[in-house]
Amino acid sequence: MSEYIVEMRHITKRFPGIVANDDVSISIRKGEVYALLGENGAGKSTMMSMLFGMYEPDSGEILINGKPVVFHSSTDATAQSIGMVHQHFKLVDTYTVAENIVLGIEPMERKFGFLPWVDMKKANKEIAELSKKYGLEVNPTDLIGDLQVSVRQRVEILKMLYRKAEIMIFDEPTAVLTPQEIDFLLDIIDGLRKDGKTIILITHKIMEIKRIADRCAILRRGKLIDVKNVAETSVQEMADLMVGHKVSFNQQKAEARFRETILDVDHLTVKNEDNFEVVKDVSFKVRGGEIFAVTGVSGNGQTEIADAVAGLMKIASGTVKLDGKDITNASVRERALSGISYIPEDRHGTGMVLDFTLRDNLALREYFKEPFSHKGILNQEQFQKYAEELIGRYDIRSGQGPATIVRSMSGGNQQKAIVGREIEEKSKLIIFVQPTRGLDIGAIENIHRQILQERDNGAAILLISLELDEIMELADTIGVIYRGELLKIAPAGEMSSHEVGRYMMGVKDA
Amino acid sequence: MKKFLAKRLSGRHSSLWASFLAIILTLITASALLLIMGKNPLVAFQSFLQGCGFLPKANYGGGSGMLSDLFDFLNYLAPLMLAALAFIAGFKTGLFNIGISGQMLISGFLATVLVGYNKELSAVVAKPLVILIGILAGGLVGALVGFLKFRFNIHEVVSTIMINYIISYLTGFFINNNFVNIMTRTSNVCSPASRLTWTNVQIGGVNCKVPLGIVIAVLIAFVVKFLFDKTSFGFELKAVGLNAQCAKYFGVGVGKSIVFSMAISGALAGLAGVTYYLGYTNTIIPKTLVGMGYDSISVALLGNSSPIGAIFASVIVCIFQQGANYMSSRVGVAKEIASLITGIMLLYASCGNYMKMIANSYLRKEMDKSSDRKEEER
Amino acid sequence: MEKVFTDGLSFALPLLIMAVGAIYSEKSGVTNLAVEGFQGVGAFVGALIAILLIPLMGNGNQAIIYIAMLAAAIGAGLYACLHALLCIKFHADQVISGVVINILAVALTTFFTSAANTAITGTASNKFILGVSNRFTVPGLSKIPWIGGLFTNMYPFEIIIIVLVIFFWYLMNKTRYGMSLKACGENPQAVDAAGGDVEKTRWIAVIISGALSGIGGMCFAYSLLANFSPSIYQGYGYLAIAAMIFGNWNIGSTALVCLIFGLAKSGGYQLCIAMKLPSNYSDLFLMLPYVLTMLLLIFFSKKNHPPKAAGQPWDKGKR
Repeated sequence: MSEYIVEMRHITKRFPGIVANDDVSISIRKGEVYALLGENGAGKSTMMSMLFGMYEPDSGEILINGKPVVFHSSTDATAQSIGMVHQHFKLVDTYTVAENIVLGIEPMERKFGFLPWVDMKKANKEIAELSKKYGLEVNPTDLIGDLQVSVRQRVEILKMLYRKAEIMIFDEPTAVLTPQEIDFLLDIIDGLRKDGKTIILITHKIMEIKRIADRCAILRRGKLIDVKNVAETSVQEMADLMVGHKVSFNQQKAEARFRETILDVDHLTVKNEDNFEVVKDVSFKVRGGEIFAVTGVSGNGQTEIADAVAGLMKIASGTVKLDGKDITNASVRERALSGISYIPEDRHGTGMVLDFTLRDNLALREYFKEPFSHKGILNQEQFQKYAEELIGRYDIRSGQGPATIVRSMSGGNQQKAIVGREIEEKSKLIIFVQPTRGLDIGAIENIHRQILQERDNGAAILLISLELDEIMELADTIGVIYRGELLKIAPAGEMSSHEVGRYMMGVKDA
Repeated sequence: MKKFLAKRLSGRHSSLWASFLAIILTLITASALLLIMGKNPLVAFQSFLQGCGFLPKANYGGGSGMLSDLFDFLNYLAPLMLAALAFIAGFKTGLFNIGISGQMLISGFLATVLVGYNKELSAVVAKPLVILIGILAGGLVGALVGFLKFRFNIHEVVSTIMINYIISYLTGFFINNNFVNIMTRTSNVCSPASRLTWTNVQIGGVNCKVPLGIVIAVLIAFVVKFLFDKTSFGFELKAVGLNAQCAKYFGVGVGKSIVFSMAISGALAGLAGVTYYLGYTNTIIPKTLVGMGYDSISVALLGNSSPIGAIFASVIVCIFQQGANYMSSRVGVAKEIASLITGIMLLYASCGNYMKMIANSYLRKEMDKSSDRKEEER
Repeated sequence: MEKVFTDGLSFALPLLIMAVGAIYSEKSGVTNLAVEGFQGVGAFVGALIAILLIPLMGNGNQAIIYIAMLAAAIGAGLYACLHALLCIKFHADQVISGVVINILAVALTTFFTSAANTAITGTASNKFILGVSNRFTVPGLSKIPWIGGLFTNMYPFEIIIIVLVIFFWYLMNKTRYGMSLKACGENPQAVDAAGGDVEKTRWIAVIISGALSGIGGMCFAYSLLANFSPSIYQGYGYLAIAAMIFGNWNIGSTALVCLIFGLAKSGGYQLCIAMKLPSNYSDLFLMLPYVLTMLLLIFFSKKNHPPKAAGQPWDKGKR
């Protein structure tokens, strides 16, 4: 019997254009919590995707319990008792908890003595027992679509348990959770460890590693930098190793200087397609020079607020005023022209036309105005000139400059293009929704700097983010949303992240 | 060879090469089919061209010649080209108008009844009136389809098909009741003044039918190109087609765009209808939808949904459709093979993106291989 | 009145089996506008086999009908592989693929019908003459007032269709394959992560879709038309799709919608006869199912929830 339950030796994996993992070797002991630390794009997820059989390494070998294995699919990995909770959950919304968990290995009975028949009753019973044993508090007959993110995550954990996984991989499990939910999750992980499971934790949050992990491998740009015993390593040391240079934890943020009110949202109610109130009676004001951040657990109505202000969703009742002007019933175009810029959550689906050139995408806010078009006829030279200007000013990198098809650009540069295009409008109000999701740390810093700069220039900023760290870092005022209601609005300095977390889970002021 | 093709399929003119490849593959498939049936493919292809007036036939009937065949070809080409442009106008906005046959039929029917049977109108009045009615009738049906799509979320493929059959039965009923020619079982012919083709024109000593429609069709191709390439309205339509969510985000009225785009598509289909029924055939077979509505999709995809591409693609498809009769009489293969060839071409043309995808990944692999080799050499 | 139910049911059931086929494909995540083409090719293959068998087994031998049905299912199932290939392997736009399949089906069957006729009989006709299937009446049930017509003068294939629909309901809702199939249409990543094979599941679903549509087409050839000819393409495949949409991709409610379609069609026709209108007017009544479909679509389309992943190609490498 080998000392290690998992060994990955000299793993190299290339994707077109990049080396995701470059000769990385790690060894994991049975029953430990082993963390993989690194920035976005450091190669943590790729490494674990290979352990879970989703990719095959270009070179190197994987050993489980000392025996070499080759995984062609996640089925192979599951057969070796490996399970994984992905960042984006792999669940079917229209199925119940139990149906999701037993998918593909449903317990069967014989109806009328011969007919194979899926036995959901048995599945429900087994899962209820499993949930109780590990304190997961999940009801097997709930529909996934009705569940909060944190519960869905526990369903994923149950799925691994049901499939008898011994090695459990968690990919950035805390990214979408409130501080309280994070505590709960870490307790569950601790319980799993006590039960003898081996846990691999992919994260870029050092505090979590400090709290739960035994050992920690640090990756940077695809290379293994070091493996540390967590107990003997300081937070600062791990951070330095992760980034590769000394990091200062606090970004320079100037004192806010508030001006007159720009955005005035009064008793706003928004209904979705099923006529369900996703935003309920929400009121708030954003002043020039202020970053007003709305935080909440995913799916509680925060993006709908942004859509309603920008005109993408119809307002059921209430009013929205911009700089004193009522825009409640104005069209998207009228709102944009009266001074709203919007960096949307879904940059591929909403923010740009992926099959257009960069040149055309940069002109989406301008193409209908003089001199971009004259009497409805487009002026291509102006498109080109404007694109070149923005590409220079916002450092947008691409293969063929303005003529690049946006689909072929990296996510960071796509986001730079959107942010540049929107900031360039010099709007009174700029809405940012999840502006840094999926970007690497350089790009994140860059965008944070731009947000602060626009604030200091006097723009009103409405920031919506699921990353609590981002909110705590940038916001001047924080509004917490829960099930469509703004439960609390307070200056950023007056709330700790734990307090914010409490409101995120619906605890109201007494 | 492999590398040559891969490079062409991923380079600047990749779409052109994909279309070219589709044509070659179609010809190979058709040849194989003909060989299996014991026919000589070369003779068959030659007679397709002869039937269209591109190559001389062995002998001609009195008063006709190669030129009259060529003009007959143009008579068929005009509505086909217009129908393809109709499809393209919708397709650029992401709409799949497969109701072109129905829109052609209703326009042709209304123009026939309102103008074609009015013996008093002079050509100067009648011809523009026919065109106007064609555009209006088709445009209104198209607009209705667009409205149903954005207001009620009805997929245009389903609604256009339903409307096709409704139009077919409705016009069929009126023709059979009121306008039928007992001898031919088709509708009565239209007045020469209203017809969009001048018949019995003597050119170079032979009898020719000169279509007005072909001039209109080529003109429209450039208008459609201008609309989508050079105007802000076209810019918005394309954005709606590629990503409606984004178009809404930057302030385009998506519903309005869908209605307008379908109206344009329908209007062009209507134009195709009047050029077909009041130009090419001069009569309507009741309860029959023409296959041209579907052939136009082949043309559009083969032409890479570009208006100028459609001019060339329609010529190719038209050669098979129009040359089929002569080919059939000479080689002895059922003339339905024309539709089969068009269908096969459509199949290959719709695989264009896959061909490009394969070419790209092949080139990437080659590149990786050569960079590996370089590394090893170092 | 009885005739309305009899004819209504014999129209509704072939429609239903095609709709069930469409449901299979779409629930697995492959948009299926190709039903029209599938049923046409199915009917062509079945009719061709029947024509070849008639001289061997004798005209009027009812066994030929069942062999033809089987051939139709196999033929259309094979033809459906083309749609699967384009959508699943080639990642083609599924709407385009569906339309391509339909256009090609018309061209293929029309050409080969005349080619086969030339080879068999020496004359180029675009028809295979089949005749109409025998009928039977269920004793007892047919005596029920009003709805007794449902059990009068039934075609044997109606029973086959009912059995098949029940079987395919069971397959979709009570077996592992069905659970995986529906999951593929909602979130294929979930199936992949659970160790399922998304592509295989979808291939099977599309082939089932083709086979069931083929049976539907063959039934029309043996009842309404009494032949195989290009008039098999009357948009019934699209009616089946519309039925699926109103039925919200649910086999039970789709069955109800098909019955409504069938009764509307036969009711209109009987009304035309009862009013003693000239035969020309029947065209107006033939229009009814299409008008009804449009109206139903206007009232019900907005509320429906198609499978979330339908229309999107599945790429294993992309997450």
